[in-house]
Amino acid sequence: MSDKLERTHLYEWHNQHGDVIPFAGWEMPVRYSDIREEHLAVREKVGIFDTTHMFRFFISGPDAEVFLQLLTTNNVSKLGVNDGHYSTCLNEQGGTHDDLMLYRIGEEEYIWVTNAVNGPKIFKHMQTHAKKYDVKIENRSREVVMIAVQGPKALSLLNKITSIDVNKFSRFTCNPVSIKGYNCYLCRTGYTGEDGGEILLLDSPYDETGKKRATKFWEMLLEEGAEFGVKPCGLGARDSTRLEAGFVLYGHELDEETSPIEARIPYAVKFKVEPHYIGYDVVKSHKKEGVPKTRIGLEMIDRGIPREGYPIFFNKSKIGETTSGGLSPILGKGIALAYVEPDIVKVDDVVIIDIRGRERKARVVMWPFYDSDKYGSTRKE
Amino acid sequence: MTESKVIDGLRYSKEHEWAKEEDGLIVVGISDYAQESIHEITFIEVSEAGTEVEAGGECGLIESMKASSSIYSPVAGEIVEVNEELEVAPEIVNEDPYGKGWLFKIKPTNKDADLDALMDSSAYSEYIESL
Repeated sequence: MSDKLERTHLYEWHNQHGDVIPFAGWEMPVRYSDIREEHLAVREKVGIFDTTHMFRFFISGPDAEVFLQLLTTNNVSKLGVNDGHYSTCLNEQGGTHDDLMLYRIGEEEYIWVTNAVNGPKIFKHMQTHAKKYDVKIENRSREVVMIAVQGPKALSLLNKITSIDVNKFSRFTCNPVSIKGYNCYLCRTGYTGEDGGEILLLDSPYDETGKKRATKFWEMLLEEGAEFGVKPCGLGARDSTRLEAGFVLYGHELDEETSPIEARIPYAVKFKVEPHYIGYDVVKSHKKEGVPKTRIGLEMIDRGIPREGYPIFFNKSKIGETTSGGLSPILGKGIALAYVEPDIVKVDDVVIIDIRGRERKARVVMWPFYDSDKYGSTRKE
Repeated sequence: MTESKVIDGLRYSKEHEWAKEEDGLIVVGISDYAQESIHEITFIEVSEAGTEVEAGGECGLIESMKASSSIYSPVAGEIVEVNEELEVAPEIVNEDPYGKGWLFKIKPTNKDADLDALMDSSAYSEYIESL
């Protein structure tokens, strides 16, 4: 890519403490120490991630709700003030422009958090459709820093640095809070499978003052989190934790040719909505009549680590390909997400993955890949 | 990245394997530079003993948390022994790439010419400087 890469407010810190790599047009830390150690910090203690490379659009106005319902697949009218939900934004063919988090922060005001790689596309898409509506769309990605705090100790850390009891905020809510004097929104969401939050640090312009402020905030999280075993985590652990949780990643499990029904994220898609969103008829038919392909999880039986793009065979016929794969540090085994022809394999069936010319057995499993009694946000402590 | 260790007396390939003659066999591993670039090694697989390989031929995989890399044999011959300890503890290659982290031993078929075609430690040091 010849375009200059973007940097978040925390770039200098990342570059001093970690390995910075290009990702989706950004220079981001892939690791600070060891991806596996960072991964385990998230599963066993708490990890913090700079996710400022994602885009934050603020959408407001009398038509905000109806406009967002035209563009997104979850039920926007069900969002109370300070509620949030996971959703998708589709094209006319039911393929996915992006997956997103939508938070309602006022009667007529919402925050749309979208993937770094899709930010410009989504902004354009919004502007194209906003013309008929009384709605204001602001890209505030550059003045709002975003930091995810994830893991079984995440709420302990967040409680320590806020004057309110964050446990009273239920999952998926988004509330204004003051964290050590910094104005923030605390979203009770994340992308690791663990409990915790995503902090939107407001009033952080992309200038020297804003960068210093954001870095101080980040360092405060590390200092206050030391007693809980906090680790800064890079994109490597972000990818491995989301994979182990079975979450889709745009460009891998979602793209312009894949519907959210094929991706098996039904909780992002509602049908009793008005107006019908773009792509509604296609996803409805996928839901009622069936899908051309479907997402599955795979856990290795034989040795080997599956990666993206490996062919999958069942009864000697090729039935699909992996879209993401890697080692699950919790299982100590290779795991993968894959798309296959529908109605051929079910959970516990054994398939063959062609790992660079080596035929290896894997079992079809449901995500999350870890035991959800022991790990993740529903763990029994 | 801290400066990578290069050991005198070994021969090195552009793919960052090292080769060492020992009792008529060639011991093969990856360099310190390679293990540092790969980072946390989570999985190693080498073609089983008995496999014939060409010089520069692919004969295994090294996986890190982030990526998959091929292992290439620096010399032609038959793989006669694979370091089985790496099956359970692949991180040994991160810890001791020139010692306990050796990958496999090969019975060479074209030893002198194949070793000559590789770099010595000073040439390899210069090569990794240039990368």
